Amino acid sequence: MKEFTESRLALGAGELWDLGTRAEFLNAVGDGSLPEDAFNRWLVQDYLFVKGFAGFASLTVAKTPRPGQSALIAGLSALDDELDWFEAHAQARSLDLGAELHPACQRYLDFLITAGYSEPFQVLLALFYGVEVAYTVAWGRLEVQGPYAEFIERWTHEDFQAYVRVLSKLADEHTDPRQQAMFNEVMRHEREFWRMTWEG
Amino acid sequence: MSAEPLHKTLWQGNQALAEECLAHPFVRGLGDGTLDPEVFKHYVAQDAFFLRAFFSAYALGAVRAVEKREVVQRLHGLMRGVLDELKLHEGYAETLAIDLGKVRPHPAARAYTDFLLRTAWTAEVGEIMAAMTPCMRLYAYLGQELALRDHSQNPYREWIDTYSSAEFEALAAELESLLDQLAEGTHSVSLAYRYAMRCELDFFSASLA
Repeated sequence: MKEFTESRLALGAGELWDLGTRAEFLNAVGDGSLPEDAFNRWLVQDYLFVKGFAGFASLTVAKTPRPGQSALIAGLSALDDELDWFEAHAQARSLDLGAELHPACQRYLDFLITAGYSEPFQVLLALFYGVEVAYTVAWGRLEVQGPYAEFIERWTHEDFQAYVRVLSKLADEHTDPRQQAMFNEVMRHEREFWRMTWEG
Repeated sequence: MSAEPLHKTLWQGNQALAEECLAHPFVRGLGDGTLDPEVFKHYVAQDAFFLRAFFSAYALGAVRAVEKREVVQRLHGLMRGVLDELKLHEGYAETLAIDLGKVRPHPAARAYTDFLLRTAWTAEVGEIMAAMTPCMRLYAYLGQELALRDHSQNPYREWIDTYSSAEFEALAAELESLLDQLAEGTHSVSLAYRYAMRCELDFFSASLA
């Protein structure tokens, strides 16, 4: 994970990087003390987030010139698999995926999708990297064990890390002066998202 | 089937939020003139940032309605209204020595503009109108309520006069009439309206923070 925590944008985010990638929710996953309702809330809201994020990802694909597109298209397809996976888990737990977006989740998606329409692709690449790297690093601080091992495994798996590595490289190959400020916004939204999973 | 126009149903359904805004310390401070001038200065800067997004949302709505010439013309009229409102802000900015070009939006302003613009880019024109109406109707309401008391000595009388004016009421009514014409009373339309009302309340709170 060192390569990610020491990536240009992560270092540039300063304290926001830690705020966006550490959470009480995750600590509780790690030590096995996570309340069931917090886990369920996370599952539903994260599913809704991924659904919206797929829209952002499509906009990024549309704007990014080849050859960068191919990794993003693979990512888009992985998001689709992830939605199936969420749906299966939600069904097993009898959760309603038609629930309303929590305001924290709504703000995060409003931010990303508005950017998707209005920002240049260089900025979108930094946002894309921010969303994915935050997840792999946040979950990556946990041991793959306990009742939620499958979830930890998902975002710490070598394949996922390889994908995040490509996103990092793309963002670095196509810099823009606004990348850092927008990456920082992603970290702010991550922090709010995690706070929501824990506090409701 | 209710004969009541949609704008009325939505406004009445969100009356509690409107009252919360009216009772908000920020609005009360404008009404009795005790609002800290520094707070007002920051508010004006944030509101100018917001209004630029509001203007863009009208423009994107007009793009979505391009086949309806009459609707487009009316949206252009509303856009002129925003430009006039921005002129008022530029006047404040000059008096209060604010550089409107250097405004860093606070999270509540950003959340509101992100919501508006996302709706404007992705939703149907009726839902765009639903996301935009609360801002206009609420301000007309607040202006008219604050104007009920004598405000001739109030340092914020220009603000109160603007939003209680017949011209502003006409703009709010025009947007409501477009809402009635273009939107159905769907769940997503109600959600957009309510969310925008919440954003208004959060905007006042953030202005005091």
